[in-house]
Amino acid sequence: MKKILTIAKWEYLEKLKTKAFIISLIITPLIIIGFSILPTLLSNKEELRTKAIGVVDPSGEYFNQLNSELRKYTIDNGQPNYILLNLTTEGKTTDELKTEADKKVLENKVEGYLLIKYGNTDSMSIEYRSENFGSFRDLGRFEEKINKIRIDNELLKKGIDPEVASVIQNNVELQQIKIEKSGKEGKQDFLVVFFSAFIFILLLMMMVIYSGQLLVRSLIEEKSNRLIEILISSCTPEELLTGKILGLSALGLTQIIIWSFIGISLVGGALVPPEAFENILPMLVYFILGFLFYTTIFVGIGSIVNTEQEAQQMTTYISLILVMPIVIAVSAIQNPDTMIVKVFSYIPLTIPSIMLLRFKVAPVPVSDIIITLAILILSILITLKIAAKIFRIGILSYGKRPTINELIRWTKEK
Amino acid sequence: MIEVQNLVKEFQHTVAVNDISFSVKSGTIFGLLGPNGAGKTTTIRTVLNIIKPTSGKVLFNGEPIKKNFLNQIGYLPEERGLYKKSKVIDVIAYFAQLKNMSRSQAISEADTWLNKLNIKQYRNNKLEELSKGNQQKIQFITAVIHNPDLMIFDEPFAGFDPINQQEIRELIFSFISAGKIIILSTHQMETAEKLCSEIFLINKGKEVTSGNLARIKRDFGGNHVEIKYNGNVSFLSSMDEVVKLDTYNNYAEIELKDIVEPSVFLKKIIDKIELTHFSVIEPTLNSIFINLIEQN
Repeated sequence: MKKILTIAKWEYLEKLKTKAFIISLIITPLIIIGFSILPTLLSNKEELRTKAIGVVDPSGEYFNQLNSELRKYTIDNGQPNYILLNLTTEGKTTDELKTEADKKVLENKVEGYLLIKYGNTDSMSIEYRSENFGSFRDLGRFEEKINKIRIDNELLKKGIDPEVASVIQNNVELQQIKIEKSGKEGKQDFLVVFFSAFIFILLLMMMVIYSGQLLVRSLIEEKSNRLIEILISSCTPEELLTGKILGLSALGLTQIIIWSFIGISLVGGALVPPEAFENILPMLVYFILGFLFYTTIFVGIGSIVNTEQEAQQMTTYISLILVMPIVIAVSAIQNPDTMIVKVFSYIPLTIPSIMLLRFKVAPVPVSDIIITLAILILSILITLKIAAKIFRIGILSYGKRPTINELIRWTKEK
Repeated sequence: MIEVQNLVKEFQHTVAVNDISFSVKSGTIFGLLGPNGAGKTTTIRTVLNIIKPTSGKVLFNGEPIKKNFLNQIGYLPEERGLYKKSKVIDVIAYFAQLKNMSRSQAISEADTWLNKLNIKQYRNNKLEELSKGNQQKIQFITAVIHNPDLMIFDEPFAGFDPINQQEIRELIFSFISAGKIIILSTHQMETAEKLCSEIFLINKGKEVTSGNLARIKRDFGGNHVEIKYNGNVSFLSSMDEVVKLDTYNNYAEIELKDIVEPSVFLKKIIDKIELTHFSVIEPTLNSIFINLIEQN
């Protein structure tokens, strides 16, 4: 036990001090946050200036109303966001107006212009013509306002009271309420459920890939410079493996915790829905057990491969299995009792992620928790035994990767 | 005392070690000698409990080896390598702790050893910043810091310059006076000849010969003398005691029959020629080694 702790402490502290770890600790959250904040920052910038927008409306029906509706949008200094210019001149055809307006855009007199075209019957279409693509926000506003004006006008023509018209146009929202045993009511938003489960699975996968690769890399390093012989002549393979797994797990946890702190302090807790923390304790159990299980598998792999490239290939494939449940996540959220979800809940490799998902979706029966935990813990113990045997022989075999038959023989050796 | 009894290690297609037995007492340097691929490393790994023998036993002080036996051995593998990115003092302390020393004890012993080997100025450097020779010294320290009863050195002098080799040699002799058991594996015969009192010659997994070095030299070295003289020595070739005579200018090498004592032979010829030099030719371990391996 003392040696296990010595090994765990060594692996933890030595890896903690490496430049690669410190860099990944800071760079990764910065990149993630950068990616999520940058688009918002960029599109918000546009609010800062007033834009001249032309309108070509042969019927003249829309210009004034559109002008007054769009005046409501202002920028920070109180100036209007849009100034509309009427580019329609009496007595010219639509085609002529279009040519003139296009020229104004190219001369930078206007940012772009709205071309309203009328069809044969009541149909109409609108084009926004500009040199550069307009922002989604601007186009969305134009479209919304024009449609509103059109509906208002049509209803007015048919003699309907404007008050009635405004009531009709109020959309009714459908809310989903999740009924829970405790009698509490919970709002169930598909996206919230999906993403709060998804974040845990993603974190688990990141930790597994990161720590797994550290583990495999350290095994390969010790194997290639024969350090492993000194280690194995100082402690048993089981002690060495357990120590390594514990040390690197602690490292992975440290990373996740620091990332969470950076994330929450930068973005603020506001973006994390409180629902994400429901059932956090049982989920943590699955999280940690899942992590241990995958790490143990990586040890077995680390003892039979000789180069980092080989290791990387194999660790990537195995980590992908972990994400597989996301593929069935949609059906699992809508209907947690389907056969496929049940089947995945009993396969050791997918237990951790599928259970993380199930906890978010619906109450999980206690029997299922007991069965899946038993399967998972048993799998960890068996894998650790097998991994230690493969490790014992594998670490001293250099050169060709062993075949499956050889591996099976190794595990049978005393 | 460490005893190896009828050790056999088979791998899938080969027999790496085929029924070898030896024992090493305290205060002896035991040379495990043989060409590359002879089975030296496999034998060592079995003794170290890194791999399990197919059959046979390894006994330490008369008992089968147990888990805490690991704390009483020190091992310097042939291929060297330590955690290059870590600090010297940390690495030494880590390996000492793995041999069951406490952290504080490990640090103070590490400082003593760094001092003894004149590299205390590198205490807080990373290993990769040290010269190759100094890295080897660190590795040597990790093998002996816990004062083990059994020390196994695989090619301990490889990579050291003559001055450092001398330093390490003196350390090994000091371990012997302290009553340690030392197994030295090498294919450098000159090293083995200078250090070992007992040797075990292994080839293709089998014992070729073993025992006291002086005895082996006598048994396999033949019976040769060399003389320097003035005058004519052609009469020697007709003597009963002589098997073969090679003469050069005032110098001759004579192979005597095995039963002939060189001193008796000297008395017989001393009055017949004017001798300026007479000596028994000691065969080198190297020539015995090559002869035996070739015969094998």
